[in-house]
Amino acid sequence: MVKYKEQIMKVVFFIAALVSIAAVALICIFLFANGVPAMAKIGIFNFIGGSTWAPSNEPAEYGIFPMILGSIYVTAGALVVGVPIGLLTAVYLAKFCPKHIYKVLKPAVELLAGIPSVVYGFFGLVVLVPFIRDNIGGNGTGSILTASILLGIMILPTIITVSESAIRAVPDSYYEGSLGLGATHERTVFRVILPAAKSGILAGIVLGIGRAIGETMAVILVAGNQAIIPNSVLSGVRTLTTNIVMEMGYASGLHREALIATGVVLFVLILLINALLSVVKRRSE
Amino acid sequence: MKVKSTKKILAVLAASVLAVSAFTACNSNSGNGSSSGTTGSADTSSFDKTKQVTVITRENGSGTRDAFIELTGLLEKGSDGSKKDNTTASASTLNNTQAVMSSVAGNQYAIGYISLGSLNDTVKAFKVDGVEATAENVKNGTYKISRPFNIATKGEGDDLTKDFISYILSKDGQDVITKEGYVSVIDDAKAYAGSKPAGKIVIAGSSSVSPVMEKLVEAYKQINTGAEIELQTQDSSSGIKAAISGTCQIAMSSRDLKDDEKESLTPQKIALDGIAVIGSNSNPTDNLTLDQIKSLYDGSITTWKLK
Repeated sequence: MVKYKEQIMKVVFFIAALVSIAAVALICIFLFANGVPAMAKIGIFNFIGGSTWAPSNEPAEYGIFPMILGSIYVTAGALVVGVPIGLLTAVYLAKFCPKHIYKVLKPAVELLAGIPSVVYGFFGLVVLVPFIRDNIGGNGTGSILTASILLGIMILPTIITVSESAIRAVPDSYYEGSLGLGATHERTVFRVILPAAKSGILAGIVLGIGRAIGETMAVILVAGNQAIIPNSVLSGVRTLTTNIVMEMGYASGLHREALIATGVVLFVLILLINALLSVVKRRSE
Repeated sequence: MKVKSTKKILAVLAASVLAVSAFTACNSNSGNGSSSGTTGSADTSSFDKTKQVTVITRENGSGTRDAFIELTGLLEKGSDGSKKDNTTASASTLNNTQAVMSSVAGNQYAIGYISLGSLNDTVKAFKVDGVEATAENVKNGTYKISRPFNIATKGEGDDLTKDFISYILSKDGQDVITKEGYVSVIDDAKAYAGSKPAGKIVIAGSSSVSPVMEKLVEAYKQINTGAEIELQTQDSSSGIKAAISGTCQIAMSSRDLKDDEKESLTPQKIALDGIAVIGSNSNPTDNLTLDQIKSLYDGSITTWKLK
């Protein structure tokens, strides 16, 4: 009887494990089956290297190079904003923060992660975009700068949480040993603990990249969405994700397939990031 | 112990400084916001006509964009059937009416366009060639940026087709259309008094007409529960082709029918849709010519001096 139950439960667990694999496989099949023929029809170089996106023109042009660049620029900008702030916050939380401040700060960071992205986007549209336009410059409904700042804020919780636990995971003997050799608390944290927690912190940053590159609803409201190769940080930009979401509602025929093919490119980018993450993780083990 | 308590005091001090600075930042921000927002309609003195216009457009494929570029002449049609959308590449693109409106409301140098039905007083609609954007002017044809919503049938159609069309043209149907923000075309519509026949029909065509048609179908199905109506959304031309070939009973079109199409189909205008060109309330410009709108959108005019 016991063995019988054991067998059943084994099957149940196996099916549960299969569900997620099946989901990934189905999405892969759907994306590639719909996207790759479109890429072939447009021409892979025209698609990935083309700089004009004009699907309503006759003949239509489907070049997503501006969007690929857009995604990369915006993600890089988010890292410039988010990594220093996130990392210093994590160090503060783990090594400098008094307990009563920690009690407020930690839930605040977690709350930041819980805010829906469209709310971030609306905040950006109403507060950030006019602020940047009036005080720094630029024209339009957003720019690389506004999108970077907003995404930088959005990836903070990921970076802070992962980095903090990486810092806490460094054995106490490192800290004590360094103090014993005469180093101050600060010197120990920045010269001993941080280097020891390096790979965990890197993992946090890579996860942040994944979040930034996949973010859509917030970016669509603060990036301006011009399908052009940006020439400054104040220029508008369109990312791969926003391109899909903006036009999917009305698209038909090759236009629709081209949007799915845009998804394929995004998917490959995310796969690369995940591969990077596992490399980083393996090094830490 | 002493050290700890001074640390505590320091921390509290730091926190309060942070809080105060956050507050003042908030205040100054909201102060700025209100000065450019509420007093905006009266205060046009701060408007700098040499500043660059923020051109806001809709995404490719949007029905509003399609109609706008066609009516303003931004769509360049070649004799070989080629089409080119001349909207400037530096135009900001947003994918819904609400985002267009809040962006225009918050930026005094912006220009955008939305369906007339969505217009409210957070933004102002420019006169086009001196004609105000109102439902009335759309109806009498003086407001240029408007388009008809047509349906077309082959001959008279079967009972259900006839009955559904009589519903659309009745007071009940036209009320649904006005409620959706479009302009009704029939002044003295009578209440619906059809025979409610059972049956099945297919309606196909324009994605611009489709949202309002969906509402009409919903309302009609509540009255006539025996009717089965399938709505297929493509574009005007495919809908018309389908009606000619008989694969659908009613075609939806957001343009007038061409002469050769009229040979086999009977068109019927069911509503009008106006597109309002909008700007900030603090923009002193009141009137734009169709040509100026085109030049603003193709990038040949870049400032509100409009030259």
